[in-house]
This record gives sequence, structure tokens and C-alpha cells, in this order.
Amino acid sequence: MTLDFAWLFDPLYQRWLLNGIGTTILLSLFGIVLMFVIGIVGAAFLHLNVRYLQTPTTIFVELFRNTPPLVQLFFLYFMLSDIGLTLTDPATGRSIPLFTGFTCVVLSLGLYNGAIAVEIIRSGLLAVPSQTVEGARALGYTRLQTFRHVELPIGLRLCIPPMASNIVSLIKTSSQAVLVAVADVMYGATQIMLETFRNLEVMLLIWVVYLMITGLAVLIVRRIATTVRIPGYGS
Amino acid sequence: MTDVQPIQGQPAPKPQTQDQSSAPLIELRDVHKSFGSIEVLKGVSMSVRDGGVVCIIGPSGSGKSTILRCINGLITIDRGTVRVGSFAVETLKKDKELVPLRHEVAMVFQQYNLFPHRTVLQNLTMAPVQVLGEKPAVVRERALALLAKVRLTGKENAYPGELSGGQQQRVAIARALAMQPRVILFDEVTAALDPEMVSEVLNVIRDLAREGMTCVLVTHEMRFAQEVADEIFFTDKGVIVEHGPPGRLFKCPNDPRLKAFLDKVL
Ligand SMILES: Nc1ncnc2c1ncn2[C@@H]1O[C@H](COP(=O)(O)OP(=O)(O)OP(=O)(O)O)[C@@H](O)[C@H]1O
Ligand SMILES: [Mg+2]
Repeated sequence: MTLDFAWLFDPLYQRWLLNGIGTTILLSLFGIVLMFVIGIVGAAFLHLNVRYLQTPTTIFVELFRNTPPLVQLFFLYFMLSDIGLTLTDPATGRSIPLFTGFTCVVLSLGLYNGAIAVEIIRSGLLAVPSQTVEGARALGYTRLQTFRHVELPIGLRLCIPPMASNIVSLIKTSSQAVLVAVADVMYGATQIMLETFRNLEVMLLIWVVYLMITGLAVLIVRRIATTVRIPGYGS
Repeated sequence: MTDVQPIQGQPAPKPQTQDQSSAPLIELRDVHKSFGSIEVLKGVSMSVRDGGVVCIIGPSGSGKSTILRCINGLITIDRGTVRVGSFAVETLKKDKELVPLRHEVAMVFQQYNLFPHRTVLQNLTMAPVQVLGEKPAVVRERALALLAKVRLTGKENAYPGELSGGQQQRVAIARALAMQPRVILFDEVTAALDPEMVSEVLNVIRDLAREGMTCVLVTHEMRFAQEVADEIFFTDKGVIVEHGPPGRLFKCPNDPRLKAFLDKVL
């Protein structure tokens, strides 16, 4: 068996790949933002025992954490495109669908990994020493102020390692985008395979590409962890 | 430090008509508290005058910390009344209602309970700015003066985790003072410290007591209690068994439980 990477020098394929990588990174970035919003808000509802919102949050977390993300994506995609909401493009005046494949992938990533993030952040909050919380309460901090100024900043720092794996998981899961026809890096790869039949070589390359994206993400998280490290705290 | 705060919040059910100076600043009457099925306070009554320094002593688990936490509303009581200045503490339920009380009553803990993610200076300025809404520049000036008072000038930008226990506890005292309280509650603030750091913390408390700050101290430092306190309360199994000026209480205790306790600790 010989590996043939000649196709890699075709500018068209290069463009497909680069555009695909760009889309994958964008999907992941938007997904991560949404994941954090959902994770923090959900963890706050649970941690602060917000009446009427606790049970829905728990149901949401269990529902999204314990079902395949692919099923969730298809469900979102078919349901939302069925509703058929549209936006008017201010530049061209044309009507474009609100829930494109791209939006659905971002939503699905945000929801699936967000549900996991709720649990991760909650465990971080629980690891904040109760004495620190009592110190804040004794100074007159309300429950919400204590959460915002004391528990959340410390809790988020404590949950960086599991959050890093959640981010890596989100980036990997973004490869489902190809299944709702979003032109991510997997989509580019599929197109190239259809034209060149160099399946093995293309997949090898894609493997390396994902490795580089997730590796970069881990590096960034490590950088952030170093910057926000609390001097003298913990180990 | 001792400037009088405007009276805010819930007034006491029976407003003070007599002369303020003679009325106690803190008054607990028949306070009961249970955690689950365990009755921890079984009718505690005590009072502390403005500017008074009282110590609470007693065996472990007798309810000393619980008494302190009733005074600043960190725990709710089941029965009885707790009055601090113009506040009927047991009627304050919402977080917002508790803010004016927490402004007047500061607390210092055995484990310091500092904010580990903030610098020493921020630990002092956070609550006055975020809770009391004071101007950052004003608070900063006050905080720097307080750090000088507890002899920690130069540590403004250190984090609590980078300080020794004694230094952290002095930061905690300065943090309490930054709220400009009328009362400070001290809960075994030297119990977690190495012996050589105990005196540096006690010196700070001694200065405060001399300056007229109202202090309620739970402590195992009997000699210190004898020195600074106007009055000592001895608790055992959720009741105050005996109280009185330190001279009498230590020299001729009446209650056998106090006698036994003093034999053990002195
Ligand atoms: N939040 C709580 N929940 C349940 N039980 C509690 C709680 N706080 C205190 N207790 C119990 O109440 C009793 C009195 O506690 P407290 O902390 O007031 O004692 P203490 O006199 O301060 O003792 P120590 O000298 O050991 O600090 C103890 O038996 C303790 O286990
Ligand atoms: Mg105690």
C-alpha cells in the first residue's frame, strides 16, 4: 500500500480544506460561548435553589447529557427548519432562513456540552470552601452577590481541568456538522474523497487537523489557567 | 472607627425610650436554636453594653459559635429575641434587610475566611464598595490606613494564600474594620494559629478593645480573656451557666461545671 498525497497540492482542495477548518473553528467558538452561558446560568439555578427553575434545569441537564448529540442535532435541525423562521438580510433584502444548518449545529453543541458544563461548574461551586462563603455572608453579601463575586470566580477556576475536556469534546462533536450539510472540515474531506477516492489519505489528514485544533484549544486553556491561577491557593 | 452609623432597617418592637448609653448594645433573650433534633441553644440570655468587651468561654460544642452567629443573623433562631442597636435581628429575613445589620456587626473567624482570589487590599475594599456602595477611592484610603494599623503595610498586593496564618488573621480583622462596624464578633480567632503568631493577633484585638470597640470574643485564651474582658460568659450544653467580671469568675467560680472547666484549661 502506498499513500498518495498529490491531491493536497490542488488549490481547489486546499481552499475547501481551509474554508472547512475556518468553519469548524467558528462552530466551535460559538458553541463554546453558548456552552458557557448555559453552563453558568444552569449551575446558578441549581446552586441558588431558584424556585420553579431547578426542576426544569435538572430535566434539561439529564435530557441532553444522556442522549446522543447526533440525535439532538437532527431533532433540532428538522424541528427548527420545519418552523421555518426567516430573517431579512439587511444588505440584499433577501429572506434567509433563521435556523440554518450552522445555527443548528451551534445550538446543538451549546446545549449538549452546556448540559455537561452545568454539572462541571456545579461541582466547582460545591468545592468552594463553605468558610469563604460564610465570610462573604457575614460582610453583608446577598446570596446572589456571594455567587457572583466569590463562588463563581473561585468555582470556575476549580473546574478548569474538566472544562478543558468538555471543550475538546465539543470540538470533536462539531464534526457532526457535515451531516446537516454545513461545510466544515469534515464536509470538505468528504467532497475530496468523492473526487479523488483517496479515503485513507484524506482521513489521515483530517485526523491530524483535529489533533491540531484540539491541541491548540488545550494550549489556550492552559494559558488561561496560568493567568487566573490564585497565588498560594490550593497546591 | 467608632463613628455612629445612621439607624436603618427594622426597628425593635419596643423602641428605646430611655437614655441610649444605659441600654445594652446587644441583648439576647431566651434564645433557642435546634439543628435538626439537637437543641444547641436552650434559652440563652446575655447583654453587652456599647464599648463593652465580653468573652464567651466553655467546652467544645457548648454553642459558643452558634451564639455569635445568632447575633449577626448568620443563623435564624427558633425562639427568643436578639436585639443589636435598633435591629430586632430575629425579624430580619431577607438578604437585603440583613445588610444594615452586617454593616454594624462584623465577624472574624477561626479559619480567617478571606477571599483567596483577591489581593489583601481588595479583601478590605470589596464589601464596602460592593455591599455598602461606598466610593472606591474613599474605601481605598481607609483600607490602607487599616493595613497600617494591623501592621501589614507592604502586603497590599499579596494574596491571602501567600501570607502566614497570623498575617491572614490580621487581614481578616482589618477587613472587618473596613466595614466600620459598631461591634466585632471574634470566633476563636487564634485557635488555628501557631503559638508564636497568637500574640500578634491578640495585640491587635487588645488595641481595638482599648479604643472602645464593642467586642464579643469566643476564646480559649484564658489569660487574654481575663485581661481584656469586662465580663465573661461561661456556656455549657447550650445554656449560660455563669457570668460575671473576670476577676470574680476565675478566682471564685460558683458552678461546679465552671470549676471543672477552669481546672482543665488553666
Ligand atoms: N449548621 C449546623 N448544623 C448542624 N449542627 C450544628 C451546626 N452548627 C453547629 N452544630 C452543632 O451544634 C453544637 C454547638 O456548636 P457550636 O459550633 O456552637 O459549638 P462551640 O461551642 O462553638 O464549639 P467549638 O468550641 O468546638 O467551636 C455542636 O454539637 C455542633 O455539632
Ligand atoms: Mg465554635
